[in-house]
Amino acid sequence: MAPVPPWVKKLRPAEPLGSQLLDAERAKSSIPVDKLTLFLYGQEFIDIKAKILKILQAEPLFDKSQNYFQGRVERWEKSLARAKRLRQLAVEHDWSLEDHNVAVDLIAEPIPYMLHGTMFLLTLFSQCSDEQGAKYFMRAMDYKIIGCYAQTELGHGSNVKGLETTATWNSDDKTFTIHSPTLTASKWWIGTLGRTANHAVVMAQLIVNGKNHGPHPFIVKIRDMKTHQPLENIHVGDVGPKIGYNTMDNGFLLFNNHKVPHEAMLAKFSSVDPETNQYVPPKSAAQVYGTMTWVRSTIVWQSGGYLARGVTIAVRYCAVRRQFKDEEAPDSQKGETQVLDYSMVAYRLLPLLAACYALHFTGKIMMDMYQQKQGLLTDSTSKQEQEFAIAELADLHATSCGLKSLASTTTADGLETSRRACGGHGYSSFSGIGDVSTNYLPNVTWEGDNYMLTQQVARYLIKTARSVMDGAPITNDTTKIFSYYQSRAEIGAAFDVLGSDTDLVAAFAWRSAYLSFDAMRQRDEAKKPWNDLLVDFYRLSKAHSQYFIVKNFYDTLVTEDPENALDDDTKGIMYLLFRLYALHTLESEANEFFTSSALTVHQITLCRATVMRLLKEIRPHAVTLVDAWDFPDFQLDSSLGRKDGDVYSDMFYRASELNPLNDLTADPYPDSPVIVKSRL
Amino acid sequence: MPDFTDSLKPQYDGQAILEAERNRSPIQVHELSKHLLSRNNFLERQSKIVSILQNDPLFSKRNQLNMSRPDRFHVGLARNKKLRRLAKQYAWDLEDYKMAEYLTDEMSPYHLQHGMFATSVFQQSSDEQRAEWLPAVRDFKVLGCYAQTELGHGSNVRGVEATATYDLKAQQWVLHSPTLTASKWWNGALGRVATHAVVIAQLQIPKKEGTGYDSHGPHQFLCRIRDEKTHQPLDGIVIGDIGPKYGYASMDNGYMLFDNFRIPHSALLCRYSKVDPKTGAFQRQGHPAIVYGTLTATRGAIILNARLVLARAVTIAIRYTSIRRQFQDRDAETSSQEVAVLDYPTVQIRLLPLLATSLALHYTGEAVSDHFKKSAAKIENGDFSALAEMHALSSGLKSLCTQYAADGIETCRRSMGGHGFHGASGLVGINSDYLSKPTVEGDNWMITQQVASYLIKKMDEVVTNTAGKSKDTVVGQFQSFLTAKKPFYTLFQGSEINAKEILNAFEWRSAYLSHEAYQARIVQKKSWTSLLIQLHKLSRAYSEMVLVTNFFNAIQSSNLSIETAKVIEQCFYLYALYTIDNDPRSFSTTGAVADASMDALPDHILDIMSQIRPHAVKLVDAWAIPDYLLNSALGRYDGKVYEDLFHRAHHENPLNKTTFNPHWEDEEIVLGSGDGGKILSKL
Ligand SMILES: Cc1cc2nc3c(=O)[nH]c(=O)nc-3n(C[C@H](O)[C@H](O)[C@H](O)COP(=O)(O)OP(=O)(O)OC[C@H]3O[C@@H](n4cnc5c(N)ncnc54)[C@H](O)[C@@H]3O)c2cc1C
Ligand SMILES: Cc1cc2nc3c(=O)[nH]c(=O)nc-3n(C[C@H](O)[C@H](O)[C@H](O)COP(=O)(O)OP(=O)(O)OC[C@H]3O[C@@H](n4cnc5c(N)ncnc54)[C@H](O)[C@@H]3O)c2cc1C
Repeated sequence: MAPVPPWVKKLRPAEPLGSQLLDAERAKSSIPVDKLTLFLYGQEFIDIKAKILKILQAEPLFDKSQNYFQGRVERWEKSLARAKRLRQLAVEHDWSLEDHNVAVDLIAEPIPYMLHGTMFLLTLFSQCSDEQGAKYFMRAMDYKIIGCYAQTELGHGSNVKGLETTATWNSDDKTFTIHSPTLTASKWWIGTLGRTANHAVVMAQLIVNGKNHGPHPFIVKIRDMKTHQPLENIHVGDVGPKIGYNTMDNGFLLFNNHKVPHEAMLAKFSSVDPETNQYVPPKSAAQVYGTMTWVRSTIVWQSGGYLARGVTIAVRYCAVRRQFKDEEAPDSQKGETQVLDYSMVAYRLLPLLAACYALHFTGKIMMDMYQQKQGLLTDSTSKQEQEFAIAELADLHATSCGLKSLASTTTADGLETSRRACGGHGYSSFSGIGDVSTNYLPNVTWEGDNYMLTQQVARYLIKTARSVMDGAPITNDTTKIFSYYQSRAEIGAAFDVLGSDTDLVAAFAWRSAYLSFDAMRQRDEAKKPWNDLLVDFYRLSKAHSQYFIVKNFYDTLVTEDPENALDDDTKGIMYLLFRLYALHTLESEANEFFTSSALTVHQITLCRATVMRLLKEIRPHAVTLVDAWDFPDFQLDSSLGRKDGDVYSDMFYRASELNPLNDLTADPYPDSPVIVKSRL
Repeated sequence: MPDFTDSLKPQYDGQAILEAERNRSPIQVHELSKHLLSRNNFLERQSKIVSILQNDPLFSKRNQLNMSRPDRFHVGLARNKKLRRLAKQYAWDLEDYKMAEYLTDEMSPYHLQHGMFATSVFQQSSDEQRAEWLPAVRDFKVLGCYAQTELGHGSNVRGVEATATYDLKAQQWVLHSPTLTASKWWNGALGRVATHAVVIAQLQIPKKEGTGYDSHGPHQFLCRIRDEKTHQPLDGIVIGDIGPKYGYASMDNGYMLFDNFRIPHSALLCRYSKVDPKTGAFQRQGHPAIVYGTLTATRGAIILNARLVLARAVTIAIRYTSIRRQFQDRDAETSSQEVAVLDYPTVQIRLLPLLATSLALHYTGEAVSDHFKKSAAKIENGDFSALAEMHALSSGLKSLCTQYAADGIETCRRSMGGHGFHGASGLVGINSDYLSKPTVEGDNWMITQQVASYLIKKMDEVVTNTAGKSKDTVVGQFQSFLTAKKPFYTLFQGSEINAKEILNAFEWRSAYLSHEAYQARIVQKKSWTSLLIQLHKLSRAYSEMVLVTNFFNAIQSSNLSIETAKVIEQCFYLYALYTIDNDPRSFSTTGAVADASMDALPDHILDIMSQIRPHAVKLVDAWAIPDYLLNSALGRYDGKVYEDLFHRAHHENPLNKTTFNPHWEDEEIVLGSGDGGKILSKL
């Protein structure tokens, strides 16, 4: 870069400075930020984050200043270097899995080792027989082999049963032949596969004696351990640039009658007996179910934090950004108005701020429930206990599907809303929201497409409604709210949603039950085809998930947590957020609350006014409420979202001193074929 | 290199599938294309230009997404230059040139030359200034940018901090940036290319007596900013590119600061404001309403563009989802073929209303453009009576239509599942480029205040004088609103849909909400800021009414063949009913639609979608978007989706040319290169 002349160096942003504005924001809110942070994360996590952050910031390789400028290939190479360094650090400092996850979160880009550390290890862990565990899992834990999880194909993702890759058992030499019969059988999208992995867990249709037993996992070496070249008859590569996730080498993989030994089939649940050449099927499907529930619950849990990154940036920036003088503003407000004070801006951002909290609490509860119910299953001694545990897991599974869909849609859309709320500067890469947003987008598709997934929720709720109709006893929350609804369906209910928080939760339960019974009738009485009901199912799943989130938010607040208790003031503000989330949701879905007779038109109109009031009440705390999420500047890598509010100097610094484009002088005239006149 | 993958075929033949889709619909694609795209000879022009561009290697779009920002800029500038030379070679007119820009599909430095830059030079210059500058601008001797927005101010133009102070003695203007936030920012073509800039600065003149200045608000100054030979910034100016963005990779949006930089008296563009060089006396003259005229014309163009952008996204998504198959039908007796995902209503409900919306945007874009053309002559002659309504109307439409398109792209992308995330979807570039539109030319949330304020004013007039005559269409609507009771229109009689009642319902809701806003603001005197959200909703309701009305009018006078016209009518119903279903409350509480009709909505929507479904592929075909522009494996006209996806990954992807060292103990990144540790030097 050309040196910055002294007269430019001298310039300061116009007063009041961003730092002064944020100081004032922080001064006017009573919230003890540290306490709230503790309430969100717990001390252990906070300590880990501090420890890891220090280590990362000392490493030049994790300096992010050129991230936004580089092309795909460069960025990917650097990310591989980072992945390696991260692993070295993990060994050096003896990091736990959680330590490592925190580090990845702080680096805030998907690194090429990612799928090795997640799906590959997880699958080996849960699907290896004991011998396989010793051979593969331990080496994978030590990164001696690097793997990926290859399920999706060019032609099939959602419909796993439709995969085309085959693994055919050869009884003569006791091997499997892995083969891709068509182009659409090519594995596709597989993270870490493109350039990094030397092993893959491959899902393939198992064919034994001419009979297809459906998709099964195989561990396959795909690249030479020395030359890192694909083995013969294996064709593998990176799928190319994407809307986000470009530091990851999502890959493709094709097999041309590639033979693997008997031990390649991961045999914990099912196997082929090499003696008899017979297929040995699994005993129960509950375990696989469990992993999916866990992965989806994780998505729910993380969605709050991801959304909070965008909201933190937008709220801070909109508190610093001032535009126009509001002629009707009180005299105490001098000069231009902070754009966060425009109700149109607050209306877009503050409900999202409430959603961050709502999703985070629900995610936490999901993770706890998962542990607890999985525990029920492991501890079950009788068949009855086992059945109960499995029913509970089915309930949780349905809940996790609906929540995964709603939570990741909320976050993906919310990030874009946050970005747009920042006006022109939101469009700059230095806003920091663009990358978070595009890297987040696959969440709406993977682990079950958000629309498709809702069918599973509907199926479960319809089944439950049917059983409650038939007089099944109350066993869990779903049957409880359905039974209540059924007992009052003919009498009606009156919910005082503005006067009572429990009524507010109950109104959401009512709507969910109403829609469930309605769907059941459509199916059972009106005999509508499944396909014609998909849009209704989507709405039902959304309604049920919203109920769950509202309920969990409320439960989190009423449950006393003696360790991380909040003071009354802060508790009060959390209740405001709860009401904002619930009433804002209610207002946008008003029609369903009305048709289900949960609320009257007049109540709905009052809700709207209450939302406006809540926005005003929460506004003074907006900055402290995002501060509590405690994102280090290192993680956000954003000019707009800087904690100190020094937005403009940072924008200018990055543009004028870090920007490589300014090293070249263009020849601008069309008639000259020269493009670059000179380079610095 | 040949390998075993060369002989592989996809499981389903996309080409055959699209052929079958096309065979089952009686729509005359060519007829519909002509119906949609005849303005300015669009179709002929498109095929003329596309045949030139797609055969020129410089305009090949392959691999664009792998490039770093500086490389994209580099290529962008090279293409811009080539376009100019092609324009000369083929004697392109301005429309041809714009077509070429549209087809290359990237925002690059010369874009502003004919646009914002030339327009403001033309509008703001005196006749002498026009004579001096316009030929050089036209011939690209002067390369310009429009430097209005600053680091600290964009929406609030009156708040810009750059100053232009008149120095009486020297008879010069002194441009100065008093703070860092006064830095110009975001200005396209400024970063690396422009030789000249139209600079918006606060015009100030020393007070006659005493010290200090008289400030006359922001004005436009045209001056040279870079050296003619070295292309370096002139002394006293600092310029640069502002860095990478969400999109617009090949555009050098720039920043610029002035350190008491002197420009001549004649730099002030003085069509509407003059400063006497000797006395410094300031004088305004003429009516700048003509500027609003251009703004309105621009917005007509924005809507027509939004329609094509949305149509492009929908084209890709419809073609791909008719080819993509996933799962057997749950209710099917035997295990049949897998279902095309476009047959799932949860896919239809995302795509088909957007397909209908692209048509809605079309008819309104045409209507606004026609309307403007008709009144242009009047405006030239100083009659601005029609302008106020049009200007207000166009702000609301700009907001709604660009939001439809911006959100629609993402909806289409997501509807395609995993492959939608891939660069080869063809939606990555368009998505990130188009996302600037909700913000530029008036932030979509902010400008809805203009429509609302207009409607409140009109309502106030009508309430005060109920019988007054006016040419404004809203006045008529408001008058009948004030004399009627809540109508609760019935939209359906059995399976019949009543189009006129739909129209009435939209008009009623818009008038009702206007009245509500009028009540709040004029009668109850609520503060403006407290009403912003309500006003935003009003603007939306009003604009939706305009879209529905224009669509309705178009199908009344359609000269399409019967079968095609029938499908377009279904699209009208779909757009209108889906819009109602999206905000049902505002139709029921305002008393616009009867409860029974509200309840019947979802079933009607499903039914209409199933009727449109067989024509979906041909409907998007009619938008005639060339493969070159789509640049999409998923949306190719011939349906060879999987072949193309694989080809791009396997044969075109530069990452696959390198073998990497994956082992964490080795610092080496590229295997065998011994580059261990060197990556740091690239940081
Ligand atoms: C960045 C990224 C990383 C990935 N990483 C991996 C990985 O490491 N390993 C791996 O194996 N996979 C991976 N995947 C693949 C991912 O799991 C799939 O893309 C995902 O499961 C969606 O499947 P699909 O692409 O086939 O979508 P499709 O099923 O083709 O979806 C297309 C459309 O059809 C609709 N649809 C489909 N079926 C139905 C139905 N029955 N009813 C109604 N609507 C339906 C969907 O809603 C969607 O709108 C990755 C994907 C991405 C984008
Ligand atoms: C890609 C791109 C290209 C551009 N090219 C040029 C160019 O060539 N030349 C040029 O001069 N400029 C250019 N711009 C700048 C552009 O015109 C401004 O960014 C735009 O006008 C928005 O202004 P802002 O950034 O100040 O947004 P802000 O006004 O700061 O918006 C921030 C938020 O505040 C809200 N807000 C602001 N005021 C109000 C209000 N009164 N009431 C309610 N809400 C309010 C907005 O809705 C938004 O959510 C470009 C911008 C982009 C992104």
